[in-house]
Amino acid sequence: MYDLSNNDPLKEKLTILSDAAKYDVACTSSGVSRGGREGFLGNSVAAGVCHAFTSDGRCISLLKILMTNHCIFDCKYCKNRASNDVPRATFTPEEICTLTIEFYKRNYIEGLFLSSGVIKSPDYTMERICETLRLLRTKYRFNGYIHVKAIPGASDELIYSAGLLADRISLNMELPTQESLRKLAPNKNMKNIIGPMNRISGTIAGHRVAVGKSARMERCGINKHLVNSIFGPGVDRIEGPEGDSSLFPAANPFLYPAEKNDALLRRPFAPAGQSTQMIIGATDETDLDLIRTTQALYQSFDLKRVFFSAYIPVNEDAALPDKTAPVPLLREHRLYQADWLIRYYGFVADEILTGDNPFLDYRVDPKCFWAINHLDRFPVEINTAPVDVLLRVPGIGPTSVKRIVSARRYGSINFEMLKRMHVVLKRARFFITCNGRMFERVPMDHRYILNQLADADRRDVYQITDRNNDFRQLNLFDDLKMERA
Amino acid sequence: MRIFTCEPEWEAMLTCIFEAFESGLGHKNIKLLLEPVGQVSFLDEYVHVDADPSKADRLSEAIVRRISYEVYTEMAYTAMAFEEDVLDNIYHVLILGFHYGPEVLRMVKFADIMRNREIRARVVREAERFREILRFHRVGNVYIAHFEPRSRVVGYLGPIFSDRMPSEFFVIVDDIHREAVIHGKNEHFYIQKLTDVEFENLLHTEEENDKYTDLWKVFFDSVAIKERANEKCQRNHFPLWARKHAVEFMR
Repeated sequence: MYDLSNNDPLKEKLTILSDAAKYDVACTSSGVSRGGREGFLGNSVAAGVCHAFTSDGRCISLLKILMTNHCIFDCKYCKNRASNDVPRATFTPEEICTLTIEFYKRNYIEGLFLSSGVIKSPDYTMERICETLRLLRTKYRFNGYIHVKAIPGASDELIYSAGLLADRISLNMELPTQESLRKLAPNKNMKNIIGPMNRISGTIAGHRVAVGKSARMERCGINKHLVNSIFGPGVDRIEGPEGDSSLFPAANPFLYPAEKNDALLRRPFAPAGQSTQMIIGATDETDLDLIRTTQALYQSFDLKRVFFSAYIPVNEDAALPDKTAPVPLLREHRLYQADWLIRYYGFVADEILTGDNPFLDYRVDPKCFWAINHLDRFPVEINTAPVDVLLRVPGIGPTSVKRIVSARRYGSINFEMLKRMHVVLKRARFFITCNGRMFERVPMDHRYILNQLADADRRDVYQITDRNNDFRQLNLFDDLKMERA
Repeated sequence: MRIFTCEPEWEAMLTCIFEAFESGLGHKNIKLLLEPVGQVSFLDEYVHVDADPSKADRLSEAIVRRISYEVYTEMAYTAMAFEEDVLDNIYHVLILGFHYGPEVLRMVKFADIMRNREIRARVVREAERFREILRFHRVGNVYIAHFEPRSRVVGYLGPIFSDRMPSEFFVIVDDIHREAVIHGKNEHFYIQKLTDVEFENLLHTEEENDKYTDLWKVFFDSVAIKERANEKCQRNHFPLWARKHAVEFMR
């Protein structure tokens, strides 16, 4: 194998290792607010800051790199799998620190996202990652945001240290079932992913309670008005079934420190929570499976985010989709919309999809789809409907609900006012009344409304599915070689 | 109608408002504008007001004492905005403020208060955008950034960046209004008006590119996924006007 790791310039390494890291989705710098300190570099803003946008439209908030792309694992979908012949490189801890610091000072990035291929063993890799982070936090006095990937199979003490040094820690689930993992990632197993995830979540909760916060992470404020929401008032973490100790190791739900008296590690454990990511379209899971898994992860492990990554065919393999298969971008988009419904709108997975129809309708967004299938609950009266009912109307989101509720204290609301509040009337008009009147005469027929809504979304759908087509109007002079008379 | 005009600076603006109050012509018969005045009407009388520290102090003291410190700072933030009616709006908000007291900014039933909120939101939005897209260049031991805002947001960016890099020596230069935030190592930042000579000296700092500028371009290109290319989305988030000083787009 051609190895570039020896005596290679930094540029070469950065090209290889950022290219190798680009399929990781999470690049958010949000979730924790921390002011700057004299003598240190950096702060952190809870809302997150995007510094640049790449040519695929995704934001760059963190310096997203792998420590190394050498890997002993052979996950079929991964570009860096052991059996692939790709250029390999490894950063030294010093190099990662210098890059982070210099980029940060120039305002290019908000922090570091550090992941890695597995060299030698998960423990060895995790140790190198911790060494890098420790150097960055201590010698380089970096106080900005760090997102670190935990390596499945690494020991608990090392994951504990990583969590103390970083702001967010994540473990990639990649595939939602044990069977798909066995098929595509033979070196990984569910136990090695779920176990640490559970312990990280327990440790985060422990650290939060110790400083007087609630055990569960902060969520969007609207959830406290939604009784059915999985983050609603009085909803607790769902613990695993008693007997199933393979997935929920109930005996040891916490991580324990490697070094107890390290003053420099007196930091909260992963204050921005943990996240995970799943690949969409490499195996034949249904959307319902994915949404149910997502919801279970929020409920059991209190994950801050679950990311979806549309599978991009980089390898040829009998177990994988064809290399010419299109990237399922629209499916990814609709799944994110469903994820938002769970986190911000008080929906649960089994409301969005049912067993006999386990795929989302990609023509319209999941909220419209739900509304069309529950026409018996509509239209709702804007001036009297409660918050949770308003929030289920397509075209009305948490911000609009807040505006509506505060405005109707002083008088009745009409369609003109809704427009000014930025309610999306092209969707909402089928489902609401203002003072008993609808926006226009609408037959409450499921097929009619579906077609209308699909038509309203047609452009957006086209832009996602066919954005790389450079179709254009034929030109008589250029294409058909006609000449002016 | 008598129209009071002044330079777009906080002290001059306060003096202008002071003079407008003192004129006793009735609020409906006066208007306040910032210079340069666009279209001059021959029916109106224009009065230029020069900055006068003592008058400005008297007004600011009155605002803090009779309304509140919060309203004073809000007005100072509003004054950063690039809007034609900003001075007139501050004047009318202050009239309401002296009448209703510290709660005035929450009384959205008044059109002036609504407009004030709009202006204020625009300033914040613009400043927050520059928090993201500002790019520093290393010149010796100093990090220097240039940017071209419509509103005078340099004062908003000062605290943001001194919290971000408290122990660095950096300068943020507003090329349009010729002001700069200067922050020394472990010191408070200050805002300075730049003279022509100083501005000339600072003009070419963006040509000072080092190894890390190149590395950033390399990173920027290699972290994009070709199969997901979406130029339209990139343009929505990072419009062309914002790219002037962004090193990743300088080829």
